Amino acid sequence: MTYKFALVLDEKRLERIKGSPLESLIKSSFGGRVKTLDFEVPEDVAKRILSEFPAARVDSRGYIEDVPVAFRKAVFEAVAKHKSTGREVWDEVFSRLEEIKQMAAKEKEYLPPPE
Amino acid sequence: MKFETPPPHGGRLVYNVVEDRDKAAKMVEGLPCVDIKPTLDPAGTPIRNVYREIMSIAYGFFSPLDRFMTRNEVERVLEERRLLDGWIFPYPIVLDLSDDDLKAAGVKEGDGLCLRLKGRPFAVVERIEEIYRVEDKKTFADRVFGTPERNKEVVRKRFDEKHPGWLIYRQLQPNFVAGRVYVVNPPKFRQPYDRFWYPPQKSREYIRQKGWTIVVAHQTRNVPHRGHEALMKHALFVAGATRPGDAVLVNAIIGAKRPGDYLDEAILEAHEALNKFGYFHPDRHVVTMTLWDMRYGNPLESLLHAVIRQNLGCTHHMFGRDHAAVGDYYDPYATQILWTKGLPSYGLNEPPHEADKGFKILPVNLGEFAYSPKADEITYYGSDLDKPLVGDKPEKFSGSFIRGIIMEGLRPPPIIMRPEVFDVIVKWWKVYGYPFVTDRYLKLKEEQLEVEL
Repeated sequence: MTYKFALVLDEKRLERIKGSPLESLIKSSFGGRVKTLDFEVPEDVAKRILSEFPAARVDSRGYIEDVPVAFRKAVFEAVAKHKSTGREVWDEVFSRLEEIKQMAAKEKEYLPPPE
Repeated sequence: MKFETPPPHGGRLVYNVVEDRDKAAKMVEGLPCVDIKPTLDPAGTPIRNVYREIMSIAYGFFSPLDRFMTRNEVERVLEERRLLDGWIFPYPIVLDLSDDDLKAAGVKEGDGLCLRLKGRPFAVVERIEEIYRVEDKKTFADRVFGTPERNKEVVRKRFDEKHPGWLIYRQLQPNFVAGRVYVVNPPKFRQPYDRFWYPPQKSREYIRQKGWTIVVAHQTRNVPHRGHEALMKHALFVAGATRPGDAVLVNAIIGAKRPGDYLDEAILEAHEALNKFGYFHPDRHVVTMTLWDMRYGNPLESLLHAVIRQNLGCTHHMFGRDHAAVGDYYDPYATQILWTKGLPSYGLNEPPHEADKGFKILPVNLGEFAYSPKADEITYYGSDLDKPLVGDKPEKFSGSFIRGIIMEGLRPPPIIMRPEVFDVIVKWWKVYGYPFVTDRYLKLKEEQLEVEL
């Protein structure tokens, strides 16, 4: 099975990956109304994500979803830093796993709503 | 074809609610009482409160079931998905007590039992028919939902603790008390639940007053995205709707849900927003609710939905992909398989609306709705096995993808979600500090419940 991950891109995120090879991974959907950075995830990484975050699951399209916001943010930071979606991104994210889990635990207490 | 409101499932609407205070007081007088306690997951988070089942029995949602089941009845449900009187019913409905509570109550078969909620008498098991023990709850839970070996038609993998419904049955207390149950202290619903409470008698009266002849039920545990809205609107036409006598009855399941699902209050008000802000005419759309801690049993849950919605007076029920499902335990189209061929491994040898003592409510089986980039519209996609209506590859609505957008604080574009629906999500997000169900929300919900006594 092929596992996938998608990061929603707002203007700020688009700016940070502008001009990099990542631009080729940008997927436009719903008539250009939604832009995402779409990439495949190795099977061992997918399984680790699913085991580390109990609410995480693979949706009908094969995307890993229902992960904490802190995890998504960490993945984007690593992607933007390495300008890649390769193994080094996941190595970096998993090296921060405890910190991400602590932030995720706080998320369950309070996640600021949009104004 | 002319449709009319179907009879209640089993022919009779149960109404085990004692409104006369004197009569209620007499029923409670001298009875031993136990406090209703929630079913907890291994971490201590409430995942079920049997008060919701008592309400659904007493107000007739589960008609003809008017009782907690005996061992024989549970066995028949597990083997054939039928009550002892033969009517189709999918799940064991049991009153489970701990050893300590049973000992403290000191009851035996033939006695009455009072059930307290929020410290006050709430319900009565008038005469205990049977007290029996179920020790191996894991096997019990497997029998409730099925296994890949036994139920090859639709079960794709073994159920486990990640499945919220399976976990409910696994976590039950070991002593089951069977007998007819009555609500003796009818509760008042808190806002916003009060305005969505249409128990079967009231729902049937509402349908009659509106002059609806075709009423298509929509099961929900979600706030509606545009795919849901398209499903509701198209299901009307598939059902052969003839104006002006047709409508959609949304029936939200209210109770403990899995973390990550939408908040109950938001589910109700978001569906209401569709008729409040013009996406449905309020004369052709009504939002109602049923108290039930979801078991996420896909085809089995669809049977319970048929019981409830036929009792509410609906003529049809729409079933989509992954109906009332979580994860990939069942085939995504398990519910459609059930309603087109039956599921012999569960004892259902034909579609449940064609079976003896089955349903009068008719299925409207639909696939998915998706966005067509070429047509720039939401279109019927069907299933992965169909050819779509349009000449391009439609983009599917993914509930979890939308949840991801919301959690990052981004407003989904209107082609995905109506802005007023998002506003409702944010309204309740501000109340609870989080847009989805969390352990904290479940604990708070257990403290408050949906009712006051």
